[in-house]
Amino acid sequence: MIATAGSQRRWRRIFLVVGAIVAAYALLAPLSSLDAAQSAGIPLLTDKFWFRIATYVVMFVVLATAWNIIGGITGYAAFGNVAFFGIGAYTTGMLIAKAKWPFLVALPLAPILAALFAALVGLPLLRLRGHYFAVASLGVGVAVGELVQNIDYNGQPVFGGASGLFLPIYAVGHRGLFFFYLMCGAAAVAIAVTWWVLRSRFGYGLIAIRENEDAAAVIGVNTTAYKVAAFALAAALTGLAGGIFSQWNVFINQDNTFPIEYNVQMILMALLGGTGTVFGPAAGAVLLQLLIQFLGGSLPISFDLPFVSSEARPIVARGVIDFFGGRTRLSLSYLRRSLRDTSL
Amino acid sequence: MAAFVQLVILGLLAGGVYVAVGVGFGLVWGVLNIVNLAHGALVIVGGYITWQLFTAFGLDPFLTLPVDAVALFVLGYALQRGVINRIIRAPLLFTFLLTFGVNLVIVNILLLIFGSDFRSVTPTYSGQGFELGGIVIPYVRLASLGAAILLSAGLAFLLSRTRIGLSIHAIAADRDAAQLVGIDLRHAYAVTYGLGAACAGVAGGLIAMIQAITPTAGEPYTLQAFVVVILGGLGRVSATVVGGLAFGLVEAFGQSIPGSGSVFANAIAFGLMVLVLVTRPQGLMGRLR
Repeated sequence: MIATAGSQRRWRRIFLVVGAIVAAYALLAPLSSLDAAQSAGIPLLTDKFWFRIATYVVMFVVLATAWNIIGGITGYAAFGNVAFFGIGAYTTGMLIAKAKWPFLVALPLAPILAALFAALVGLPLLRLRGHYFAVASLGVGVAVGELVQNIDYNGQPVFGGASGLFLPIYAVGHRGLFFFYLMCGAAAVAIAVTWWVLRSRFGYGLIAIRENEDAAAVIGVNTTAYKVAAFALAAALTGLAGGIFSQWNVFINQDNTFPIEYNVQMILMALLGGTGTVFGPAAGAVLLQLLIQFLGGSLPISFDLPFVSSEARPIVARGVIDFFGGRTRLSLSYLRRSLRDTSL
Repeated sequence: MAAFVQLVILGLLAGGVYVAVGVGFGLVWGVLNIVNLAHGALVIVGGYITWQLFTAFGLDPFLTLPVDAVALFVLGYALQRGVINRIIRAPLLFTFLLTFGVNLVIVNILLLIFGSDFRSVTPTYSGQGFELGGIVIPYVRLASLGAAILLSAGLAFLLSRTRIGLSIHAIAADRDAAQLVGIDLRHAYAVTYGLGAACAGVAGGLIAMIQAITPTAGEPYTLQAFVVVILGGLGRVSATVVGGLAFGLVEAFGQSIPGSGSVFANAIAFGLMVLVLVTRPQGLMGRLR
């Protein structure tokens, strides 16, 4: 089936309108849990459980959008972005739990530290290309988590060790609502940054690097500086999400702040929605994360698939969405064709 | 001095396992251009086969190694022929994601079958060794180094002296030209991956004798295999042997630093990898291509 330009534009508009309506509902529905809304007799549209899932979904919007800057726009297959998430989480966590800083003062340091770390490891790592960069960045993700869990000083674990780090509960009315909107704010920042990057001289440089790095260098793009900046920018946004996560979740350890699965999930989300675009990764994140929660049995309206353990979930989800992901070419022949293109 | 020599010996002996883990990974990467993130999972499959044969039939673990190799060859051949071949022309991100997915599926199947208990293979001679001028040499470690060297030699022989080995060389050099001279690409790719998996299986059998295994124990081995191959240099079996032994040495010395320990295995591996990639990207034995 060949989609004409006109019908494509119509579908685009329909998608945009539907997306806007869904987003507006998701943003406004939680307000019905406020006391004012309750006393005005508005029925409760969401409960605490939904806040949690919605906040997770928005968190992945941030992660996927941030990955898109280095993976989609710059074309470097980063497999270790979860390190920045964990660094952000532990920065805020340590400052709050050990140094007793207030949350909102500690939070800005999460993206700063994550970006500094990314710039530091990015300088050597971004000289590598292809497989080498991908696995080296995977190594960063694994190694940082291990270091954070195991570093001791005078026999005492510095970062809480294997038993993790407990944060005091942030005293604010409507906590669920607060963190949901905070995460939405982070997502808005991530999307706005992507939008800006794609329209700036910086972004054109990154795209040039993705298309042909040597040619980009020849026409005067300072490739090292651009790549490191893109890596640090992605890290800052990822670290911001991590910082919010630590106070929201109250408890952090190696397992919930450095899971390798998050790397794979953010990449799948960006690929699904469309790498190198502004809203693609966000849309992919919403779809895939809802599907993951659905398959994993954490949504109220779900069923448990046998054999699908929590780790295999993203893969199952990928199969489902890929099948329907042909957009205008929604058919089995699309699947067959795309497989024929890539197989031997 | 004796402690130093002991450390060197133990490092070289431990390197045997890394040689076995690395050769299969290097073969798949060098020839098929796939960074096989399922390698660690395949290693653990081999470990479980050895454990199963040892506990059920009391078979000597070293005699189970050929079984590991054959079983994993079949599994690897089927995996490449049925699954990975389908996306071999896609960008590298896709082979990455696919092999990671295969890794998860294998790990979860193992969890389903064997549960998450620690399993270990303990023949009567495990934990024993002999002394040579104050240096202790454990039997199992020595034999596993020997098995790893034999495995590498066998693989090198296969690659350089047999018809299928020559066709593997051909597809590594130029895929399309190889097809033009009549090599069945799908078969040759599957055989290559199968050989890589067979090496992983043997490595798993060796690992099961040295440490207790769980279905999730394979993950570090994927990263370590990558480091070993980078350390030696991509493209030759002998380079991987050197890389594996060097890695064993580095790890032995890294763990002997006071305050350190096996908990930093991944961090040491990663630090070494970055160091090599930045200072000598072609590896210790590699040639610039």
